[in-house]
Amino acid sequence: MSLVRYLARRLAQGALIVFLVSALIFTLLRVVPGDPVRLMAGGMAPEALIEEIAADMGLRDPIYVQFGRYVAGILQGDLGQSFVRPANGAAVGGASFDDSTRGERAKVWSLIANSAPMTLQLALLAMIFALVIALPIGVWGGLRPGAWPDRFALYISSVFVSLPNFWLGIVLALLLSVKLQLVPAIGYNGFAYTILPAFVLAIEIAPFIIRTLTVSVAGVMSQSFIDIAAVRGLTRNQIVFRHVMKNSAVPLLNLLGVQFSMLLGGVLVIEFIFDYPGLGLLTINAVMQRDFPLIQGIAIVTAAAFVLINIVVDLAATTIDPRLEY
Amino acid sequence: MDRRTFLRNSAMAGLGVGAVQLNTSLLVGPAMAQASRPLVFLSAENITGNWDPMAHTTLSQFNIEGFVMGFLTRAPMMPENPDEVVYELATELNLLDATHLEIKLREGVTFHDGEPFSAKDVKATFEYGAQPERARQVYPGFADTFEVTTPDDYTVIVDTTKGGYGAAMFIFLASYLPILSTKDIAGGPQGVLNQRLNGTGPFKFVEQRGNDTVMEAFPDYFRGAPQIPGVTFSYVGDATTRMLSLMNGQADVIERLEPEQVDTLSKQDDIVLNRAVSVENKYLWFRCSKPPFDNPLVRKAAAHAIDRSLILEIMGTAGEPSSNFVSPIKFGYADLDNYPEYDPEECQRLLAEAGYPGGDGLPDLEYITSTGFYPKTKEYGEVITALLQEQGFPVTLNVMETAAWNERLYDRPGGGPGHMIDCGWTSASPEPDLVLRTHFHSTSKRICGIEDAEIDAALDEERDAPDLEARRESLQTNLMPMLADKVPAYSLFTSVLMHGVRADVQDLFIYPDGTADASRTTMS
Repeated sequence: MSLVRYLARRLAQGALIVFLVSALIFTLLRVVPGDPVRLMAGGMAPEALIEEIAADMGLRDPIYVQFGRYVAGILQGDLGQSFVRPANGAAVGGASFDDSTRGERAKVWSLIANSAPMTLQLALLAMIFALVIALPIGVWGGLRPGAWPDRFALYISSVFVSLPNFWLGIVLALLLSVKLQLVPAIGYNGFAYTILPAFVLAIEIAPFIIRTLTVSVAGVMSQSFIDIAAVRGLTRNQIVFRHVMKNSAVPLLNLLGVQFSMLLGGVLVIEFIFDYPGLGLLTINAVMQRDFPLIQGIAIVTAAAFVLINIVVDLAATTIDPRLEY
Repeated sequence: MDRRTFLRNSAMAGLGVGAVQLNTSLLVGPAMAQASRPLVFLSAENITGNWDPMAHTTLSQFNIEGFVMGFLTRAPMMPENPDEVVYELATELNLLDATHLEIKLREGVTFHDGEPFSAKDVKATFEYGAQPERARQVYPGFADTFEVTTPDDYTVIVDTTKGGYGAAMFIFLASYLPILSTKDIAGGPQGVLNQRLNGTGPFKFVEQRGNDTVMEAFPDYFRGAPQIPGVTFSYVGDATTRMLSLMNGQADVIERLEPEQVDTLSKQDDIVLNRAVSVENKYLWFRCSKPPFDNPLVRKAAAHAIDRSLILEIMGTAGEPSSNFVSPIKFGYADLDNYPEYDPEECQRLLAEAGYPGGDGLPDLEYITSTGFYPKTKEYGEVITALLQEQGFPVTLNVMETAAWNERLYDRPGGGPGHMIDCGWTSASPEPDLVLRTHFHSTSKRICGIEDAEIDAALDEERDAPDLEARRESLQTNLMPMLADKVPAYSLFTSVLMHGVRADVQDLFIYPDGTADASRTTMS
């Protein structure tokens, strides 16, 4: 199959997935209790005003009609407007109902576009930290299956995976930021603010990478071509770095793709604890404020990112291992 | 193109895009090495999205206005000198007779947009703030109950003859109402007023950047330019996050400390705690316009089901006992003899009298509270829920994030959401009507939605009293006991405002309503 046909097929599948996700989210948000117009109009709005606004916005039309309009908007790059947030992006609430003067509502796309680079930065740094931690431990464990490096990899993975991220975040903020004053912890005012939350996320991701590497490296090491490589006169380092690492990379790549997609989907707890202004914090606030257009927008954008990352991962895997088909 | 070329090109394009997006300020600006920086104030509450000071009753926005706006007077309301008045934009308040108040104004003051301050701004502010649709100023009466004249640029006369109440009511209002510019008011509620703040205070509003309100020092402030370059006021919803920010020096002031945070922070040498009995009481508001709390017997039964000593145990240092509908530092406060206390037998008697013996026949009740803003609301909410359930009230507690709770707070036609809701009320003035009239007069009834002719008459009577002593007597012997009998809301305790402040922040004055004066503040 040619590259173009492969890409076209995967992108079509991806578009279908994104469409189904948006349909599901759109429907669910409209069948849960609570009237979004009440949020827009404010707490003291009379029912007549609520109905007037709802009718103006088409929110009393059948769900499939509303969804059709929404999809048409998406196709034109319009994810709609936040119910709650003004154009400056502040989290708001509490105005009186007849206050028609509340600032202009923010575009969902611009809110996501402002937050996504922050989360992308956090996710990339977390992946780098995770690989720095996990690669030596995982590879070492895989090269000595059953011996103490393998057990060490297992134990350290167990410890890492057992640490609740909110607890670790608070403890590290106390230690590294409050006591030692090494890095800032709360909010965002420069790249340094990404380091601590990224490290906490790395600790959370590292056990999966360590276990995947340990198992796949050990598996490759038991293959006959590794024994033959030694007979061919290759040194151990050449065997490990040229052959073992490359052959172990495919399962790792798949794992990294999934983990990275999850990070982009919003690292909710970590961004909330560190008040890090990324997609995770935006999502938490959107959910708590019942800001339906924003929740829908985030879900669609992250679903699309998930699809694209998986296509890239699959392409990369076929490049590393020519035996894999498109 | 083969797959390797495709991947290589894609990766290069991705790196190119990423390089544009990534923030590399780490290389040029270490985050913790800033010599002259603004005061960072972390707020527990979100703002409203409308900067018009008359369009909201939201505390966090009051706090921002405290930095930006000018007031005729300020009332520090310190326990050792509760009547102290600090003149700000006013230089004199003279009661000419029972219905005429003369206000002399300071000369040489300018707004942040360069417009000079004069009597016309005070007149426009009083008249604009007293419009029925404006949320803030519901006292002493709407704009058709008084007249404001300006004999010269720096004199204002308030005439309350039409309203039939005393002009002295405007004395307390002077420390509550921020003075707006006539030019801004002329643009109406949909003009510049809702887009930005423009005042005469020590700090100038610059912009709202996400959840950060950015203010910078106003060099032409009439008392001299502030020492610090500005104030950044940020909404951070999580109490632990706020505390960590204070401890690592990223924040200079945090508000609404939880009692256990007080224990932690009191052990820190570099942090000072600011404790003040506030003008705020915390209330359990009943939705009085719909069943079953449209029946005063049921409201009173609910009040007798609640053991406030248990709530105060939970509040620890963050609460003070009080038995009235206003804080002890408000004018007219007295412990009320008939204030409902914990009495299960009386609760059952009242329930039976109301037709709900043992709670039988009561509909399912929703009690809404917030988390993350006021201390311990969830914890004492659970206690209240359990106590009410014990007496047969079928109550469910609904704990909401601050912004979502805020949207459900106010009364609306047919009654506000739920049946009970938790909220505090505060105002930077000793004036009790900023609580009582705001909430219990049928022209306002902000949260509870009560419409009761007897309460209206009692409120009008104390407002119209000829002098302060007569007013105090009317409050203490008529209105307040009547409220204790009809219980449109149940005041649980008086809040103690606990702020954590970095020790290097000097001369920051925090008022009992939570607003702060940073005009003389220095930071080492």
